[in-house]
Amino acid sequence: MRTPRWVPWLYLGPAVAVMAVACLYPLLSALQLGFYDWSMGTPWGEAKWVGMDAFIRAFQDDAVWRSLRTTLLFAFVCVVAEMVLGIALALSLEGQVRGMAVFRTLFILPMMIAPIAVGLTWRYLFDAQFGLLNAILALFGSAPIGWLAQENTAFIAIIIADIWQWTPFVFIMMIAALSNVDGAVLEAARVDGANWWQTTFRVKLPMVMNVIAITLLMRLIDAFRVLEVIYILTFGGPGDSTEILSLHIYKTAFVGQRLGSAAAISVLLLLVVAGLSWFALRLSNPLKDEER
Amino acid sequence: MKRRTLIQTAGGGALGLLGAGLPLFGYAQDRYAKYKGQTVVLSIPAHPHYDAMVKLLPEFTKQTGIKVEVDKLAMARMKDKQLLEMAKPSGDYDLVCYVVMWKSEYVKKNLLRELEPFFKNPALADPNYDFKDVVPRYVENMGLVGGPKGYLAGPGAKLYGMPYGAETSILAYRRDIFAKHNLKAPDNYTEFEKLLPILKEKAGIGALTSRGQAGHQCVHAWLLHVNPLGGHIFDDKWKPIFNNEVGVKALNFLKLVSDTGPVGIPGYGQGEMITSFLQGQSAMYLDSSLIFGQVNNPSVSKIGGQVSYVVHPKGVRYSSQSGGLGLAIPKNAKNADAAFLLMQWLTSKEQDKAVCRIGGVPSRNSTMMDQGMVRQYPEYITLRQQLEYSDPDWRPIIAEWDEINIQALGVAVSEALTGKKTAQEALNGMVPKVTDIMKRGGYLKA
Repeated sequence: MRTPRWVPWLYLGPAVAVMAVACLYPLLSALQLGFYDWSMGTPWGEAKWVGMDAFIRAFQDDAVWRSLRTTLLFAFVCVVAEMVLGIALALSLEGQVRGMAVFRTLFILPMMIAPIAVGLTWRYLFDAQFGLLNAILALFGSAPIGWLAQENTAFIAIIIADIWQWTPFVFIMMIAALSNVDGAVLEAARVDGANWWQTTFRVKLPMVMNVIAITLLMRLIDAFRVLEVIYILTFGGPGDSTEILSLHIYKTAFVGQRLGSAAAISVLLLLVVAGLSWFALRLSNPLKDEER
Repeated sequence: MKRRTLIQTAGGGALGLLGAGLPLFGYAQDRYAKYKGQTVVLSIPAHPHYDAMVKLLPEFTKQTGIKVEVDKLAMARMKDKQLLEMAKPSGDYDLVCYVVMWKSEYVKKNLLRELEPFFKNPALADPNYDFKDVVPRYVENMGLVGGPKGYLAGPGAKLYGMPYGAETSILAYRRDIFAKHNLKAPDNYTEFEKLLPILKEKAGIGALTSRGQAGHQCVHAWLLHVNPLGGHIFDDKWKPIFNNEVGVKALNFLKLVSDTGPVGIPGYGQGEMITSFLQGQSAMYLDSSLIFGQVNNPSVSKIGGQVSYVVHPKGVRYSSQSGGLGLAIPKNAKNADAAFLLMQWLTSKEQDKAVCRIGGVPSRNSTMMDQGMVRQYPEYITLRQQLEYSDPDWRPIIAEWDEINIQALGVAVSEALTGKKTAQEALNGMVPKVTDIMKRGGYLKA
């Protein structure tokens, strides 16, 4: 019996409706906002139509491009470090090591802490006068360092905080993926004489490449959205050296009260993230097989 | 007309006359009776003055029957929430604490109620309130909008808020360290500049603590020096002049403060700045008078009994900041009358003293003159003197100030502090951006 044409629409309809409301509506609202000059606390009726002005200004603003460069560098360093560390940790803790449950719990704790608390914790750790890091350095006779007071060290500080918080996410994803690798395949590799290195890099990791790609994608998107930790740690400073794009958008919207401009920059951020996501999926697309 | 006269004309003059001859005791009972059982929702920041204030609220409820619900937020996040709440047709806040810099923006957006009708309403106004006793500079700075420049006392100024947690700058120094090294607290900026490296070398700790974090914090620190040195952000026609000789001199001075101060000043917010002094890592403190309540509190301070105060050193003039926090009633408050009663109660003579006894800051002259209070806080003598020099125009409180403060000057000052740019380069670099903001705001021709 032939399935009526409307049946797929019936099944897809609710999901499409939910997606439209949850994702598309805010997106279109942001896009719409980009065409208006509107300040928070004033009636929407007072918003002034400015056409493409906010978009043109955003593309001409040096601060936006500086911020984008900072974001790309931040995202690149963080995501690479988190992927490498997360995969390494997962490989080292995937076996039946004693006390494994405790280790795994400890490793995922940072991810469960609210970003504001993470920011405050690291702000105290990096504190020039009373911070733990300088206390440790003092044991070796080193002079205290103003971690958050210099551009380079402040940038390192926000990277360390992000790696600390989000490496566990990669770890969890990878440990779950590795536990699903077929033991028979690994056994066959070993029988064929593959050493640990070959088993890991030629068999295990290629078998979980889809999960690696998805994890990379999720971390990449998150790295572009991070706000609270940097807000608390440096507020974008010194100067604007740690002002990533999401913080720049926040300041434009809530400090400058230029919600239209903030929306326009958000669209730029969306385009960048979409481009990078497309690139990440080109590496290994888990949906590819199904598409065939 | 002198500034003080203007204040009285614009804000306090008419108000001071209100309530004369009204019956007292029985009337006070009636004032609250109508609102018994109502709940006033109050938006406040995490701030020592408001931490102290919260302890007074049970007494207010006991006396009036009006309940109070407090929504406490980090200062930096409070404005976003308040704007969202106050923009709704009916808001959740009945009374909001605001930072002085927000007053013009809130009024421009028509979010606050004028206070004069409340003070003129005999059913609400306390005849013993004595408006003139509230420090006039604080009233002008915190409460008046619509006058000269939009934020000063004078023709057109209307009262939208009352100072509560208001402050001025004052110089605190470690008496013990200064005595040990035979040093004298600076009276002017020449002495100040010479003292910093000497103090650093002799005391072995930071000379002067300071804010320095990018954004509002470092601009606040810079403006503390700009004003007494004779500078301003804009000229009389709103043209940016912050990059002139005075602005550069003030920024170079701040760089010296950073270089001779405790490690890490370019990353310091207000909290780190205060902690450095209270924990004995810095020999001097030049910032908000908020410090009074904390110096002798052993839970936060190691330097109790070792601190003396002098007025903010003189540049080309004696001058100090005026700012801090105030209370206002949103346009969309559900319980506006009850909110006014709470505001009036908190800022009354009796409660002003009460909040100071437990670590708050005074808003009234009578508190600073009270012998019992002066015994607890001898520094009130210096504070009274300092308030004579407090300048309500030490920064431009226009609606655009937050953007200029944080996104323009806050970057430039920070870049100079870290040595990335010279003071002159950093300030010059921000003139186009600030000019653009002022054009957008309609202050300069586009």
